[in-house]
Amino acid sequence: MNSPFPQSFSSPGEGHLIVHLRPPSISALSKITFQYPLKLISPSPSANQPSILVFLLTYGGGLVGGDQVYLTIDVLAGARLSIATQGYTKIFKSPERDVITRQHLHVNLYPGAGCCLLPDPVQPFAESVYEQVQDFTLVPDASLCLLDWVSAGRTARGEDWDLWGWTGRNEVWVRGRGGEDGGKKRLLLRDKVVLEGDREGVGNKGLKKKMSGLGVFGTLILKGPLVEDLASFFIDEFTALPRIGAQDFRSQERREQDSGVLLTPRQVWRQARLEQEKEDGLLWSVARVRGCTVVKFGALTVEGGRSWIGSMIKEEKSIGRHFGESATMCIR
Amino acid sequence: MRSEADQSQPQTVEDEIAELERRLEVAKARLAATKTAEETLLPLTPSSPILQTQIPLGASSHHFLLLLADSALPLGSFAFSSGLESYLAHCRRASSFPAFLGLSVSSYASTTLPFVLAAHRNPADLIELDDALDAAIICTVGRRASIAQGRALLSIWDRSFRSALPANPCAATAQVLKDFSALMRPSTSTSSASNELPPASAHLGPLFGAISCLLGMTLEQTAYVFMLSHVKALLSAAVRASIFGPYHAQKVLASASVRHGIDEVVKREWNTKIEDAGQSVPVMDLWIGRHEMLYSRIFNS
Repeated sequence: MNSPFPQSFSSPGEGHLIVHLRPPSISALSKITFQYPLKLISPSPSANQPSILVFLLTYGGGLVGGDQVYLTIDVLAGARLSIATQGYTKIFKSPERDVITRQHLHVNLYPGAGCCLLPDPVQPFAESVYEQVQDFTLVPDASLCLLDWVSAGRTARGEDWDLWGWTGRNEVWVRGRGGEDGGKKRLLLRDKVVLEGDREGVGNKGLKKKMSGLGVFGTLILKGPLVEDLASFFIDEFTALPRIGAQDFRSQERREQDSGVLLTPRQVWRQARLEQEKEDGLLWSVARVRGCTVVKFGALTVEGGRSWIGSMIKEEKSIGRHFGESATMCIR
Repeated sequence: MRSEADQSQPQTVEDEIAELERRLEVAKARLAATKTAEETLLPLTPSSPILQTQIPLGASSHHFLLLLADSALPLGSFAFSSGLESYLAHCRRASSFPAFLGLSVSSYASTTLPFVLAAHRNPADLIELDDALDAAIICTVGRRASIAQGRALLSIWDRSFRSALPANPCAATAQVLKDFSALMRPSTSTSSASNELPPASAHLGPLFGAISCLLGMTLEQTAYVFMLSHVKALLSAAVRASIFGPYHAQKVLASASVRHGIDEVVKREWNTKIEDAGQSVPVMDLWIGRHEMLYSRIFNS
């Protein structure tokens, strides 16, 4: 007997999103499919929002040992997509070291398209084994903003990088727009982090030492015209950081004189941020690599990291302008 | 592809012979590389036989092994501290050289060693490996150090090693390096001006692997010498940063923990694919990247 329901195309954990630009210029979903344990929700778009928001969720709020998620996203010409989560992506413990929980995100960005992923951090529980691959293929004028961060686990329960294994790989590929190299992809960036937990019976807390007290570690990858201003902002702020080991040679008199000088709002904000960076043990650096801008940061606590990245992105404002305020909801 | 008429021309036939010979050599090199790879897939023993080959000392491969292991190489490595100087400034009193050494060896092996091994196993892939590594080194300071030392090694190959090699055993692979040098030349003048990706960057890791292969070193020797050179560079940086004196540096270098540490990371990365090479000590990228923020510095990295 034939089933009256349409045939399901996707297998467990698979999903597919297609975003297109609807006239006059509203980004809309033309396809949204997903299978357990993956769940995608998109609040109905309001008329003036610059991008369509999709929540990337999992049933039960996390991935159980051995779960496999494979999500494909196509953002068609001119369309914009922002992806958020509702809380940490929890990675539950695996029954065995060779049971790997996997999440694979495969994104294609077409001419003029933009994709902004600012999710909550991944939270690997003790004895979890996780592998994440996020690859982005874009044409030169498409834009990408990707935040990928991982926490030390359930710190409230005393977990401190007690995972068994965590690997995250982010790749940016560029595809020519026809012509001589049309269709041929070239790797621009491959950012990979491999955290190897301690082997059984070796109780030396090797990974904890490697993380040097950090409670969260993150990478922000920026590429394309929509995020060019944000990228320059990070570079400028990095250049403006006070030198490590520098001393204040000004006299007391001069210092008082200088403190009377009126500061711009940006300088006031920067001073407050630098204070906060010190308090949160926040370390960061930024590099331009083959046309991409990559920010790396670490902080003692997740909240310290969240408030820093949120403050940077909010101060610069262009993400809100290009993708809408809801794109930054996870880093507020 | 070729018509009957073309084949009658002597020039074309000569070209074809040259092409076939080149392919034969590439195939032979690949076979040899696979064989070495197969042999070495066996678990490495802690005392891997770096010098225990049947060839008498004084054979050219030993001569070059000692040259590559010399502390003068990589040329100009004295200018780099691989993050040590920045680490000291960030951790102040909490800093410990042995701890940093362990982290640095682990990090350098997980990010770079797979590229060295891959280039030794198949030198013909040098250009692709160089490009893939260029995409994978995220930190500005780290890229600068890797490229400066890689270019220096390439010049040493061009000016010294190439002509000193006895009978060229593997002309096809030597050709790869020649092509590579040719790619480097235009990039120096134009790459900074345009936004185009350079065709080749000359990172140290893949070049070291390919050149070691040409000089007749085994895969194990190459991996061990590559990691040992890193330890030596760190120790020499530590001496110049006045952490300890040269006698203590020799003591650390001779210690069993350095030897076992290198063996362990070589074993760990032996079968790592280059796509899976990655940073195992994330905070290292922060330290190296923030080197530029130091108020005073004596090293370039």
